[in-house]
Amino acid sequence: MLFEKVLYPFDGKKASLEVKPYVLKLKEAGCKEVHLLYVLVPSEWGILAKEEYDCIEKIEALKAAIEEGFVDALLRMFKKMEEVASEFEKEGVKTKVVMIPGELDEVISEYAKKNDVKLVALGITSESLSFFRVGKVLDIIKALDRPILIVKSPEEEG
Amino acid sequence: MPLFKKVLYSTDFSPLAEVALEYVKKLKEAGEEEVVVVHVVDDLSVELPEGTDLIKEKEVYKILPEVDQEYLLDLVERLNSIKELLEKENLKVKTYLKYGNIPKQIVSVADEEKVNLIVMGAHGKGLLTELLLGSVSTDVIREAKCPVLIVKRREE
Ligand SMILES: Nc1ncnc2c1ncn2[C@@H]1O[C@H](COP(=O)(O)OP(=O)(O)OP(=O)(O)O)[C@@H](O)[C@H]1O
Ligand SMILES: [Mg+2]
Repeated sequence: MLFEKVLYPFDGKKASLEVKPYVLKLKEAGCKEVHLLYVLVPSEWGILAKEEYDCIEKIEALKAAIEEGFVDALLRMFKKMEEVASEFEKEGVKTKVVMIPGELDEVISEYAKKNDVKLVALGITSESLSFFRVGKVLDIIKALDRPILIVKSPEEEG
Repeated sequence: MPLFKKVLYSTDFSPLAEVALEYVKKLKEAGEEEVVVVHVVDDLSVELPEGTDLIKEKEVYKILPEVDQEYLLDLVERLNSIKELLEKENLKVKTYLKYGNIPKQIVSVADEEKVNLIVMGAHGKGLLTELLLGSVSTDVIREAKCPVLIVKRREE
């Protein structure tokens, strides 16, 4: 099945939201499972213990290691991702929400392999502030060994 | 939203472009109705104007040497067999054989035809088989205004 399991890297910005309707539509072509992944890049979040942060408890446990403000920001992101995930669940698509520390290309390609993802759906803006810029996206595509759907959003971030 | 309604399939007739064709067929289930199949040539022995349409502009064949004419007719045939294949899947199909800069022509047909998505391989006939991303795909990702599906094959 070509689209059975989709990895949807998500950073909450407009560009990554533009992909959502495409992934939802792929349900009709056999998509049964969507994984929302937020990569905790060191330049933004510092070095965090390499773990799959996939529930509130694991994120809250970070309070021992990093500033509370950061943990709250992570919790907000996690909830936002769960909201998006619920839109898929409503359509009968299984979801998983996870945050993983590391560089974008490494984390995304490793995760895709490990979870036998069939397609990666990336939302990008050509030169905007979003973290999926074209240059970075080329690194991600090169690191991946499976198909990638690239959705460009025409407008800059507000 | 049309999303996958009209799809441009760009092919260099390489094995990976053939894998990409499977995705083009599959997208029918997600609302795809029409496919625009595109191949671009940049290697004729005579320079032609950028963007020459080698299916519609039959008169240019007269100025081409016989080897080029045969080469082009073979390409037209290959495009037609892909067309037949897709028509069997009940898709509406258009074909383009263009002359010029490869990524530039792919993007310009995508614009003119107002396609919703471009489907292509991550690499093609290039000699470096280990190439992670070919130059044509790289430029199309940079220049295209619409979404692009880049097909890669998993190393088994
Ligand atoms: N002449 C062409 N016409 C139409 N589509 C093409 C053409 N050449 C390449 N493509 C498309 O682009 C994809 C990637 O091919 P690309 O040419 O970028 O890689 P390559 O041949 O391995 O590398 P390079 O050409 O940079 O040496 C192909 O799978 C095909 O979908
Ligand atoms: Mg090539």
